[in-house]
Amino acid sequence: MTEPYLRIEKLTKVYERGQVLALDALSLDVEKREFLVVIGLSGSGKSTLLRCINRLIEPTSGRIMLGSVDLTRLSPERMRKMRRRMGMIFQHFNLIRRAPVITNVLTGRLGYMPGWKAMLGMFSKEDQDRALESLERVGLREKAYVRADELSGGQQQRVGIARALMQEPEILLADEPVSALDPATSHSIMQYLEWMNREREVTVLASLHFLSLARRYGTRIVALKDGQRVFDGPPAEIDNAKFKEIYGEDAEEVEVR
Amino acid sequence: MAKPLSSRLAGSGVTLKARALSFFIDWVVWGYIAYGVMFFLNYYWYTVHVDWWGTLTLPTWGWPLVVLGTLEMAGLCRALGRSLGKRALGLNLVGEHGQRLRRGQRIYRFLLWNITLPIQPILYALRRPLLHERRSSTQLVHSPRAPGVKGKSSLLTQWGIMAVFLCVFTVWLGWLITEINVPVLISRAPTAGRIWSQMVSPDFRYFIEPDPVFALRGLSYSILNLMVVTIFMALLATILGAIFALPVSFAGARNIMGHNALGWAVYAVVRGLFNVFRSIETVLWALVFAVWVGWGTPFAGVLALTVHTIAALGKLYSEQVESIDPGPLEAIVAVGGSRWQVIRYAVLPQVVPSFWAFTLYRWDINVRMSTIIALVGGGGIGDMLFYYKNEGLWRMVGAVVIVIVAVVWSMDYISGRLRERIA
Ligand SMILES: Nc1ncnc2c1ncn2[C@@H]1O[C@H](COP(=O)(O)OP(=O)(O)OP(=O)(O)O)[C@@H](O)[C@H]1O
Ligand SMILES: [Mg+2]
Repeated sequence: MTEPYLRIEKLTKVYERGQVLALDALSLDVEKREFLVVIGLSGSGKSTLLRCINRLIEPTSGRIMLGSVDLTRLSPERMRKMRRRMGMIFQHFNLIRRAPVITNVLTGRLGYMPGWKAMLGMFSKEDQDRALESLERVGLREKAYVRADELSGGQQQRVGIARALMQEPEILLADEPVSALDPATSHSIMQYLEWMNREREVTVLASLHFLSLARRYGTRIVALKDGQRVFDGPPAEIDNAKFKEIYGEDAEEVEVR
Repeated sequence: MAKPLSSRLAGSGVTLKARALSFFIDWVVWGYIAYGVMFFLNYYWYTVHVDWWGTLTLPTWGWPLVVLGTLEMAGLCRALGRSLGKRALGLNLVGEHGQRLRRGQRIYRFLLWNITLPIQPILYALRRPLLHERRSSTQLVHSPRAPGVKGKSSLLTQWGIMAVFLCVFTVWLGWLITEINVPVLISRAPTAGRIWSQMVSPDFRYFIEPDPVFALRGLSYSILNLMVVTIFMALLATILGAIFALPVSFAGARNIMGHNALGWAVYAVVRGLFNVFRSIETVLWALVFAVWVGWGTPFAGVLALTVHTIAALGKLYSEQVESIDPGPLEAIVAVGGSRWQVIRYAVLPQVVPSFWAFTLYRWDINVRMSTIIALVGGGGIGDMLFYYKNEGLWRMVGAVVIVIVAVVWSMDYISGRLRERIA
């Protein structure tokens, strides 16, 4: 058997404050071009898992192997280089609210720029064209010079996607990308992620709250509970019994159409 | 939910630090009351010798008695009900299972507390249940209000009554200590009236033309000249202060400096310096610089204003940086941005509007400060003001004061309008 693309080994995270065991020796292999959806109750450790992968959160112990590189051992500087290849999309979009949309998209190139140019905001012509192209891709070309906080939630998330596109990522980490959006908008955002996964060959790791969305877009579903894996398999395998195990006895499934 | 590790540990949820702090507050309250009582005894009956700065002549056994007595009073009140210290930290005393306590239980707890006091830190370090809590079946818990008193006006609770009492007590004590004397205020009113009546008919003779009196010192002082100097003192101090405070303020923000040892050290030093320099008032800085670079020179005033501005703005800026939305920071880190890029793209856009507002606000303060800083050798319009005052030339004083009021008012207005624009 060949090495998996992304291998997570015995990943553990203890939050010092509050003494919470958020990830409990979690192991997980992810293949290239997978669309992996992480589900689980609030507090089950989904965000912690995704943020450990690009080390926005420092794991307490365990290894994260990307190819032959152990991400948990990289120096801050090398981790920074590595992050250029990992896009991230956030529940609350995390845009620079007072800056125009185009600047937000351009920040996706920061990792590739020499320091002083970035400080002066001197983005190359090439990057600017690319930014407009990315905005075109998510259907926001005409909003390029509008302030980011003047957009609707769905539009802001599309800016987030355009920002990730600028990185030309290999991996996309999406932490509840649609939790702040209505069902119709959710589908449109998920379709962009699906497009990145299929056309751009990006490996996607997304956490979602709705099982119906997970079933519809995921090629594989992993369920967490108390920082441990309680399910791992194709979407079709989640039946009623499994559902109750993941979400507890009293849970009812909610459809998002 | 993930399992909290703390639930596996013994001991209730309130940390030693919180307990100690809330006890300390109560002890300070009783210490204050003891001090006040001794002051009253001395003031009305001369039984204890004490003067207001706190020198006490008590018998040798008196001091330990006061310390012990206040400690015991604090402990007793804490056991019996809702004290100020418990209220301040949102602590409450309940039974093992959260039920209300009987009076006997409370007194039992207090007695046990007295006996076990020396070993309590040890029990805490070993993470063992506290002896006095276990034996009296009581525990200290976090709760914003005591159970069963919902809806009761807070002034009628035990701590509320204590707070009101302390206010009344302080006014009474302060009245005696600061020697408030209402009859003098009234009987001497005519004197003040004479000065006022001269000041409201000001003499603008030296508005543009320099007053020859100052020519003896080789100075050409007119109100207009000095007002220009004063305004520039304020402007220069504000701009220089902001320029120096801006970069340093990032080093004084927790979220920028990270959580490693070096980050903590830099943060602590920078914040410490800000606090020390800020608590030394501008007039004190002026005293220092007046001796250093020359009495009555505007240069001394600028230096004094600048130093205080750096410290004051630095602290405000740092706090602003600490209160920003961490989301964009995360996003810039996630795309592979460096620390500098995070500051440039995620922090600055969020803080710039409030930085402007703070700077303009500081400008207001500096304008007002610069008009009186001459009192301690800082130069500017105050130099003229205090000369006329010392000579009793109240019409001249009136002219200077009117110009100061007009300038301060118009600067206030301008900066207020600018702030509105930005907000
Ligand atoms: N910064 C933090 N400090 C302390 N504890 C934290 C911190 N962040 C998360 N936790 C705790 O870690 C556990 C897992 O949190 P995490 O955010 O990973 O859950 P989640 O599955 O993303 O939940 P949600 O669906 O609500 O976003 C929770 O119990 C949470 O309280
Ligand atoms: Mg989450």
